[in-house]
Amino acid sequence: MLEMRGICKSYGSVRANRGIDLDVPAGRIVGLLGENGSGKSTLMKVLFGIVAADAGTIVFNGKAFAAHSPRAAIAAGLGMIHQHFTLVDAMTVTENVMLGWDHAGYWLRPREIAGLIETTSRTYGLEIEPGSIVGDLPHGQRQRVEIVKAILRGAELLILDEPTSNLSPPEIRGLFNVMRRLREQGRGIIFISHKLDEVLEICDDIVVLRDGEVTGRRAASGATKSDLARMMVGRDVTAAIDKAERTPGGAILNVVKLSHRDEKGMDRLHEISFSLRAGEILAVAGVDGNGQSDLADVLAGLRVATDGGVDLNGLDITHVSAAERLAAGLSYIPVDRATTSLVPAMSVADNLALREFDRAPFSRRGWLHRDAFQARAAQRIGEFGIRAAGPDAPARTLSGGNQQKIVVAREIGRRPKVLIAFQPTWGLDPGATRFVIDQLMALRDAGGAILYLSSSLDEVLVLGDRIAVMYRGRLSRPVPRAAADTTEIGLMMAGTRTKSDVGGQSA
Amino acid sequence: MTTAERNTGDSKSGSPAAMLDHTVRLLTASDGLRTFLLACAAIGLALAVTGLLILVAGKNPIAAYWALIKGVTGTTGRFAFALNKSTPYILAGVGVALCFRAKVINIGAEGQIAVGAIAATWIALNMLALPPVLQVTLALAAGATGGAAWSALAAIIRLKRGVHEVLCTLLLNFVGVLLVSEALHGRMGEAGAGFPQSPLLERSAWLPNLLPDTDLHIGIVFAILAVIGGYILLWRTTFGFRLRVMGASPKAANYAGIAAPRCMLGVMTLAGALAGFAGSIEVLGVHYRLIEGFSAGFGFNAVAVALIASINPIAVFPAGLFFGFLEAGALAMQREVGVPSSLVFVIQGLTMVFVLCAIGIGARAQRV
Repeated sequence: MLEMRGICKSYGSVRANRGIDLDVPAGRIVGLLGENGSGKSTLMKVLFGIVAADAGTIVFNGKAFAAHSPRAAIAAGLGMIHQHFTLVDAMTVTENVMLGWDHAGYWLRPREIAGLIETTSRTYGLEIEPGSIVGDLPHGQRQRVEIVKAILRGAELLILDEPTSNLSPPEIRGLFNVMRRLREQGRGIIFISHKLDEVLEICDDIVVLRDGEVTGRRAASGATKSDLARMMVGRDVTAAIDKAERTPGGAILNVVKLSHRDEKGMDRLHEISFSLRAGEILAVAGVDGNGQSDLADVLAGLRVATDGGVDLNGLDITHVSAAERLAAGLSYIPVDRATTSLVPAMSVADNLALREFDRAPFSRRGWLHRDAFQARAAQRIGEFGIRAAGPDAPARTLSGGNQQKIVVAREIGRRPKVLIAFQPTWGLDPGATRFVIDQLMALRDAGGAILYLSSSLDEVLVLGDRIAVMYRGRLSRPVPRAAADTTEIGLMMAGTRTKSDVGGQSA
Repeated sequence: MTTAERNTGDSKSGSPAAMLDHTVRLLTASDGLRTFLLACAAIGLALAVTGLLILVAGKNPIAAYWALIKGVTGTTGRFAFALNKSTPYILAGVGVALCFRAKVINIGAEGQIAVGAIAATWIALNMLALPPVLQVTLALAAGATGGAAWSALAAIIRLKRGVHEVLCTLLLNFVGVLLVSEALHGRMGEAGAGFPQSPLLERSAWLPNLLPDTDLHIGIVFAILAVIGGYILLWRTTFGFRLRVMGASPKAANYAGIAAPRCMLGVMTLAGALAGFAGSIEVLGVHYRLIEGFSAGFGFNAVAVALIASINPIAVFPAGLFFGFLEAGALAMQREVGVPSSLVFVIQGLTMVFVLCAIGIGARAQRV
């Protein structure tokens, strides 16, 4: 169905694709596996006509593509589901499907289109309601709206770019069922991911990319995780995380009935209570948008608690500023490097001092001590192996993994009593992920208490000494890892209540 | 944080305020040397295009530019005049650049200059009993305070009522300029003069001269101090660090424990003080009285100067000189070659357009 031959694409001196071949037969799911920056996205942009290749040919259904536009790609039968959806939240499903679709005509026929959506939805088990407002739908449902859009536009080959990244385990299973139906109907699928388990589960063929080159092709039936991981990063990274059982110390962070209402008057956190002990990791699973960012921000002092209390080591910090919490030994790694935890335009040295610049040794009486900035930067760059051109290099010139090392070095380097880590491995490749995890484990073993928030159930299960689930602003009762039931946690993440009530309180 | 939240903040466009915002963000992200070369190229291009216009008008562009240069450097007096012309641009430009650094889009220098000038004039007219040094010092201080207050007013409206600073600074410009007319038609005006102006100030309230036999007053010294001070403030103080983080990312500023409202009020007040100071220098050093319309768009040109300088306080100095010198040489060009002096405004405008284009193209190249 699709044959890509010798695709090359360079951005300046960066060779994003170097002679990549990719075949997708009809009725098969091809997994495109690779770390961040391995060239997956570039290859798909070339295919979809968003960027033009420097060299190489694309033949789709017997027709050659050259210097085509995304519009032509869609017309020829390609459908791309981006990681960030291209939907209008305020519109209904039907209106979103009609949007920008020539077939919808000049006179809108919403009822007819709604009928089409229902038929398609039934055929592929999508279960979407044409009349619902997209903004009200959960993430997994919106993805299905994108899929129905692509199918109705005649997509024979669907490209799914990291489709599982924001889904709960049951939603992922649902998506896989939909993908199987699509395959049965003879459509081809390219499944882009860096999650090995998922690729092995759903794909027929797997193509691994590294540094813009194909490093391996396997049939999914014959491939193993460690095999794929080695092809992906060029070395072994799947070595089990070394996790000694430890007896935690006394409670160091006590949270009692913490609630938060946002500026729009929405209740984001509802009476959250738990205590965190020295030398343990409390891992909280939950699908994005269930209040994790609010909990992390409220605890770190970036947002205000509307009710309840927080006590750090005997000190009431409920109404204390972010800076004072930091001084009291509370560090925070937020999820968003691009806008929150890092200032890309500023230097590595400035970023390493970002949260302490107005205290000694970085400044006194309003004057900065540049020497202290430089000394701290040199020290941290060495300790944490940050690969940068120097302390004065702008942070944006570093790779994602090294940017996160700056954040980790700043927040963990000061040996905090409590660390709040919100998806600290988000968007990192396996090597960098491993680095961050190792640093967290070292902090725990040194007696630090860590609240680890993540939407990845795997990470939560691997890291947590105790595990809890967040759903719609409520936190379930934390249970020891040994007692954790994966299926039940998955169901709780999806909001299906079970016998241990999700609304339950206090640890 | 949801993906939707992550996406916002990136894709604003449309309104003029948002476009200015976008430009400032591009400038904050660009680096020094490259921007300097781009600015030089933009100036060259602007001169070339204007040269074509002169050619079309049947004059010799080389002769015109030569006359312009001679008009500035021909004699010490002319050079002194050019420096005086540049002073308000540099002073107000530094303040605007600092605001833009913090992503505070203050375009209210025009009104701040006007209010500063009123305050300085009032002191100079009414404090005649003091020794001359004190009269001048007090008048300058009053000018700075007046400008600062006018700017702080805009900041407070922004912070308390949520009106975007582009709107409140812009609108307060009109009010400030009209206040000058109001004052001059009232008690501050010169009785019997056919024109809205204040009485001539006593010599004791005039700014001291730097060079004998020229008009050069000490304003340029203050301008240089402002440039150096702005640089030190931005790179060597915690306040400057706060401004830079705020400008680069409001979320990161919040995360770093920076109180953005206080910083905004601080930088606006500072910029207002510099603009008000520039206004009082015009009164005490150039006209020796308050005249209606004395600030022929100084405040708006200061915004252009800050943008051409890529909101870098040090670069404000050459950019301000460029604007001042063009205007100082314009009359000579008109006199000697017969090219209308308003052509320098074409050069100024084109330079700004080209600088902004170059920065935009550079940013696009960076993004890929």
